[in-house]
Amino acid sequence: MTSDTVLIIGGGPAGLEAARLIGDLGEKAILVEKREALGGTPIYEHYAALTHGFRSAEEAMNELIAAARANPTVDIRLGSELVECSGTAGDFKVKIANAGNGAGEAVNVGAIIVATGFQHFDPGRETQMYGYYEYDDVITLADAEKMLKEHNFVTPSKGTPPQRVCFIQCVGSRDRQIGNEYCSKVCCGISSKQAIEIRQQVPGAKVFIFYIDMRMYGYWENEIYWPAQEQYHVQYVKGIITEIIRKGDRLLVRGEDTTMGRPMEVPMDVVVLAVGMEPSKGTKDAAKILGLKQNKYNFIDVPHDALDPTATSVPGIFVAGAAAGPKDLDDTMSMAGAAAMKAAALVAKQSRVAA
Amino acid sequence: MTATAGIIPYDAVNTSSSRKFERMAEYAPEDFHKHLFELEAEGEWIVQRVPEPYVEVMTKYGRKKKIPLELSWHHKSCGQCGHIPGYSTAIFWLNRKLNFKYLDPTDQTSCTAWNYYASATSNAAAQAGVAMRNFAAAYETGYYPIIHCGTSYGHYKETREELLHHAELRHQVRDIMRKLGKAMVMPEEIVHYSEWVHVVRDRIAANQTRDFSQISVAVHPACHYYKLVQEDAIYDPDIYGGQRTATVSALIVALGAQVRDYSTWFDCCGFGFRHILVQRDFTRSFATLRKIQVMKDEADPDVVITHDTGCVTTLDKSQFVGKAHGFNVGVPVMSDAQFAALAMGAHPYRVCQLHWHSTDYRPLLEKMGIDHERAWAEFQDDLKRLKNGEKEYLTWEDVDA
Amino acid sequence: MGLFADKYPDVPYEEKLRLWEEVKADVRFPSVQYGCYECGICVAACPSARFYDFSPRKIAQAAGREDVELIYEQMNDDVWNCSQCFSCNRCPRQNSPGGLITILREVAVKNGLKSAKQALEGYSRIIYKIMGTGTQVSPDMLQPDAFPDWGPQVREVSADLELWRRALPPETHHTVSTGWQVDDKTVIELYLIWHHTGVMDMIAEVDEGLHMILNDVMEEKLEEAGYET
Repeated sequence: MTSDTVLIIGGGPAGLEAARLIGDLGEKAILVEKREALGGTPIYEHYAALTHGFRSAEEAMNELIAAARANPTVDIRLGSELVECSGTAGDFKVKIANAGNGAGEAVNVGAIIVATGFQHFDPGRETQMYGYYEYDDVITLADAEKMLKEHNFVTPSKGTPPQRVCFIQCVGSRDRQIGNEYCSKVCCGISSKQAIEIRQQVPGAKVFIFYIDMRMYGYWENEIYWPAQEQYHVQYVKGIITEIIRKGDRLLVRGEDTTMGRPMEVPMDVVVLAVGMEPSKGTKDAAKILGLKQNKYNFIDVPHDALDPTATSVPGIFVAGAAAGPKDLDDTMSMAGAAAMKAAALVAKQSRVAA
Repeated sequence: MTATAGIIPYDAVNTSSSRKFERMAEYAPEDFHKHLFELEAEGEWIVQRVPEPYVEVMTKYGRKKKIPLELSWHHKSCGQCGHIPGYSTAIFWLNRKLNFKYLDPTDQTSCTAWNYYASATSNAAAQAGVAMRNFAAAYETGYYPIIHCGTSYGHYKETREELLHHAELRHQVRDIMRKLGKAMVMPEEIVHYSEWVHVVRDRIAANQTRDFSQISVAVHPACHYYKLVQEDAIYDPDIYGGQRTATVSALIVALGAQVRDYSTWFDCCGFGFRHILVQRDFTRSFATLRKIQVMKDEADPDVVITHDTGCVTTLDKSQFVGKAHGFNVGVPVMSDAQFAALAMGAHPYRVCQLHWHSTDYRPLLEKMGIDHERAWAEFQDDLKRLKNGEKEYLTWEDVDA
Repeated sequence: MGLFADKYPDVPYEEKLRLWEEVKADVRFPSVQYGCYECGICVAACPSARFYDFSPRKIAQAAGREDVELIYEQMNDDVWNCSQCFSCNRCPRQNSPGGLITILREVAVKNGLKSAKQALEGYSRIIYKIMGTGTQVSPDMLQPDAFPDWGPQVREVSADLELWRRALPPETHHTVSTGWQVDDKTVIELYLIWHHTGVMDMIAEVDEGLHMILNDVMEEKLEEAGYET
């Protein structure tokens, strides 16, 4: 039986935005979130400031959450996950269960939006030896966000503010040996943002970013990159690090300063690995259950990317956000809007036809 | 420059990190064995299987590798046999002491990779031809090849990749093998002897007669062991948290000695292939400044242990000039095999043949509780008997006395 | 036209291009050369980069750009500095600058480039040893004049060499002119491999004298064994 309800899988920024828009249209939505709280990765991984405008991530996400909850036609189910799906566009039969608890409640929906997001690359897998599992002072972008949010950016092994901090870009991205050949799009911006935040919170710290390329699209160039260099004196060095090893009570990073053409070996207190994006477990599960084609990297495959960025291989199922590949927050919110529109239009058209 | 001042020896083997890495099977790269056996099914070559008994170890991305315990055909190393023969002698001695059947063949050529990397007076087909001839020779005896040199091992792993992926090269080599009347044989695994030492380290420890608890070690991992075909090298979650190769370090731990870290662990020794023969200022400068001096300054170990011919040679022989120039050098260097043999009570001269080594090893022997003066006197007696014609050669029976 | 002034203007462009095409035609080329990020991870790990004006990155970059003139310059000046440790295999694009250098060197040797001959000056006895006898370094090469910087210990070894070799338990090690005892049949097989793969022609390009000596020794043994040469 056809349905005018839209199912949204994932309660992060993409899912919340889509849910709010569906609700604003007065249409019915069910939002299924595996965790016990909404907000997705920005909340779960304690993001500090957003990479765009430096707004508090928690404050921004709370706004989205409040907006989604404010709509009476939006049914939010926490601690729940999709376990089964059959049917076609306009008439999907799904089962929603308590997370980890097999048997589910059968529900009829007209369209589905997959907003299951990404996970960070695990640095234990990389071919360069960055020592994330050897040294506590090697951290990831997510570990850094948490410390910055708490206004307690310290050298983990000592508990004191660092004197020298560096970022290593492209960890787990742009790498044929690991297999994640793509660029994760946001890490250059995030690292520069974090570098600024560190310089703000720990004015005595010297901060370096070791990069292959600095990807500063559009207004990131003048809003983030230029101030990082000019106001905050973040040192950008074109040359990626080969390994990290302990020397004395600090970490030694080895690289080449390619523009100066010299090998370099310098001590650091904290090393931040700019780990890239990979499809989350939720994304991979959703693809399997919904029968969605995945691309080479196991993200949801979007067949006609430039003109139809939210389409999947199955009509009636749309994707929003990093479940489709590396996305920044602008992309995610735009996709959420487009997916919500397409999903709502689909069920509305169906109702008109039926009437 | 005193070495001991202010050194806090750092143990990296047991990482102090609060994090534990969980390897997930879904990210494992493709296993070359699939292609290896496909080619066998198509009649392109015979895959010589690893004989039982064997032990399975974990490699870098989680693939299990089979390491045979015995029935090994020993593919010898030029530099070991030629310049530091205690190294190969110790490998054979360990096999004998642990009662493993092995073969020391005369139907074996050098892998010729030292010359190849030094002079490039060879090419892919010749190198592959040399490899396959040796593999065929092993196969003909029914014993399984185990490689002594780190460079032979790395080179043969590369050769395997080339033969797997390039049919034209494979067919060119097959034609040459036909002319030699030899089969095309590729071993199921290419095994380095230090991988064998790794899997029998508990047996070695069980037979240990000398106390190594006061011995501190700096480990130098061979570039060609773990940087060539990186996925095919031993890694262990309990050693360096699985983030660095476990080979050699795990043995040291099993023998009760202390592994001390230093900040140039990942650096090459500076051997250079060509450089150590005709451009030696590079080799001795690199070995002294980037390896030995750093090890002395930061770890001050009793001994440097490594698992490759070139590395032992470079690190041992380069120290003479370093000393003459007042650098902080003077730490003995030997292989894991010689170290293990000493642990099991081997004679430092009859078995480990330490008189071929350059940097003074006597303080180390004293720390191991070995009366090296008496041992040297015993060896001098052996030499006397050889000199006056009483015996022609020193034999295994003499050594086990 | 490359980006820089041509250091070898007397060598015609077509010749430089021909050498580069020979490099690209090597069966291994596709697996050692992909695109280049110019990120420097190869230099960071490289021992030669610390002691020579040498950069594996520049080798990979020149190849990526197909800057034929720069590549020719590198084949003449730089490639012999590489210590062939393959630490550069760290490359995220899966380049192997060391592997590419191996091919560049082979092409230099095959074409008798002056740099190849110069780099291998003083090296001929070593080639003779490995190609002619089947082992690379033999005990009798441990002479004080060959390794003066290894100290007086080399003198000790060379003084009692033959005696010390007899004091080795492994039966195959009772040799002085080879590392271990190699069967005649085995050496013959090695000669046949050199002949069938064109290696003897490569030797002829870099060192005619060596080629002559090797050829004589090999021919004699091959004839004895009943092979036509």
